[in-house]
Amino acid sequence: MMNAQNIPFDMRQWRSPRFYIPLILIGILFMIPLVIYDPIFLHLMILIFFYAYLTISWNVVGGFAGQLSLGHTAFTGIGAYTSTLLFIQLGVTPWIGMFIGGILAAIAAITIGYPCFKLRGAYFALATIGFVETLRIAIESTNEIFGIQFKGAMGMTLPLMGHSPLNFQFLSKAYYYYIILIMMLIALYITYRISKSRLGYYLFAIKNDLDAAQSLGVDVSRCRLKAAALSAFLTGLGGTFYAQLVLFIDPAGIIGLYLSFEIAFIAIIGGRGTLLGPVLGSFLLIPVSELTRIYLGGTYFGVHLVVFGGVLMLVMLFLPRGINDPIIHAYYRVIERLEKGSVKTEVDHGTS
Amino acid sequence: MALLEIQGVSRSFGGLKAVIDFDLTIDQGEIVGLVGPNGAGKSTLFNLITGVYPPDSGEIIFDGENIVRHKPHEICRKRIGRCFQVVKPFADMSVLENAMVGAFCLVESPDEAKRKALEVLQFVKLDQKRETPAKNLTIADKKRLEMARALATDPKLLLLDEVMAGLNPKETEEAIELIREVRDHNVTLFIIEHVMRVIMTLPDRISIIHYGRKIAEGVPSVVAKDEKVIKAYLGETYDFTATQ
Repeated sequence: MMNAQNIPFDMRQWRSPRFYIPLILIGILFMIPLVIYDPIFLHLMILIFFYAYLTISWNVVGGFAGQLSLGHTAFTGIGAYTSTLLFIQLGVTPWIGMFIGGILAAIAAITIGYPCFKLRGAYFALATIGFVETLRIAIESTNEIFGIQFKGAMGMTLPLMGHSPLNFQFLSKAYYYYIILIMMLIALYITYRISKSRLGYYLFAIKNDLDAAQSLGVDVSRCRLKAAALSAFLTGLGGTFYAQLVLFIDPAGIIGLYLSFEIAFIAIIGGRGTLLGPVLGSFLLIPVSELTRIYLGGTYFGVHLVVFGGVLMLVMLFLPRGINDPIIHAYYRVIERLEKGSVKTEVDHGTS
Repeated sequence: MALLEIQGVSRSFGGLKAVIDFDLTIDQGEIVGLVGPNGAGKSTLFNLITGVYPPDSGEIIFDGENIVRHKPHEICRKRIGRCFQVVKPFADMSVLENAMVGAFCLVESPDEAKRKALEVLQFVKLDQKRETPAKNLTIADKKRLEMARALATDPKLLLLDEVMAGLNPKETEEAIELIREVRDHNVTLFIIEHVMRVIMTLPDRISIIHYGRKIAEGVPSVVAKDEKVIKAYLGETYDFTATQ
């Protein structure tokens, strides 16, 4: 069975728990900033959604198409640098810069994907590492080219505008919270639609058996390039969000391999190729990574990475396909119990 | 009317000449068998027709159009279907989803693809197992699924590569029955087969390939008595006259 097909949400059943339980969960996420004002907590939630968003975008290539990309931070980098440069040099609002960055990321993905998708397995992953590292080093060593100030390894600070919604800058974390939450939900919806479409079926088929897929009329490179362009576009938007959240970008932070590995870890632990795996993986890993960094990072340098690795090993040992499947199963059990309950009450009404 | 014309096709791999100057014409509505010892070049010929690799020389004309150097997915869209010697199911997908991938060749809407897929699954009698993951099927059912998937692309010509291998006699009987039904639905069949009972009864014509060359062609009962064919299978030292 296709995992991505297996989603716990059915829009046709208005009165069923399948419909209202997900809505309640989403509703709770929307209520949080109204109840909790603690900026540290909100920042943690923002990071969870941000990483979930990046991983959902990554999942189109890394999960659905089954191509382990470690180069996706090239696209966050392209997104962040495009919108930031447009803002600093030309005064273009990052809201517009964001989409220009996304489109440039998609173009980059098609250009680099065309030769890379001919490689299989580990060679593909290596090629993507080569791509992202080349881009990082290029930007790190470029201070200025054609009058565009890249500022090399120093990075760029966005000019502070105070509370300025038009320029994608807010003083309260709550705004960022809502923006990234909505971006995450939209990305989830897009991947859901892909998994139900011809492209989704084709990507799963290619992942299962490339030769058989071709013999059934599947244009493998076209499908993969479509997936890569979409995935890179979404990832590029995420890059701009990050730039606006932190108001500072540098090559090591936004393009580095480190971020690429984090995305891949979240996807693998959550469940590669599943619809909700990226979200679940992010909810598990980001708190672990952030809390250990806050409480242990200062005293024992690098301990949070050890904890991160420990969690990864435990999940890989006991749940090689990720935490998505057991959680979704448990969720369904709850739903079914609720459904039985509601059927029973309806019967009671009928007889009384 | 000729549906497929293979004209002087050759292909080498390094120093190995896998197919040499091969000619064959298949008419609309025929079942043609391709027979030969292991390594004779049968699967290579199928790969040449379906565009897995191009021939070094020669033409392959399908439905009046030269299809040499077309890619496999384009060949499928020209309506040549194919089943592989080693079954290649989409293991993690259900039977229905497998068939839908084939049906998407013709329609883009998932609902229509599903309808078409259910139709072919019913035809190969797999509709009861539509929700089963393909990896859990028996070998006979996997072969049926492969056939269903190929049929869902609505082929005019279907290439079957040893679909009977590994089947028990009852399953073989059912598979022969199924292939005849496929032919009755206006599909021309080109089959590679080793099972003698199938070779002698199913095809209208067979073509014998040996070391990449065609050594005989014709009605099965006649070709089976051909001296070159018997030697190809039993060896040069076999005393042909002794059996006469």
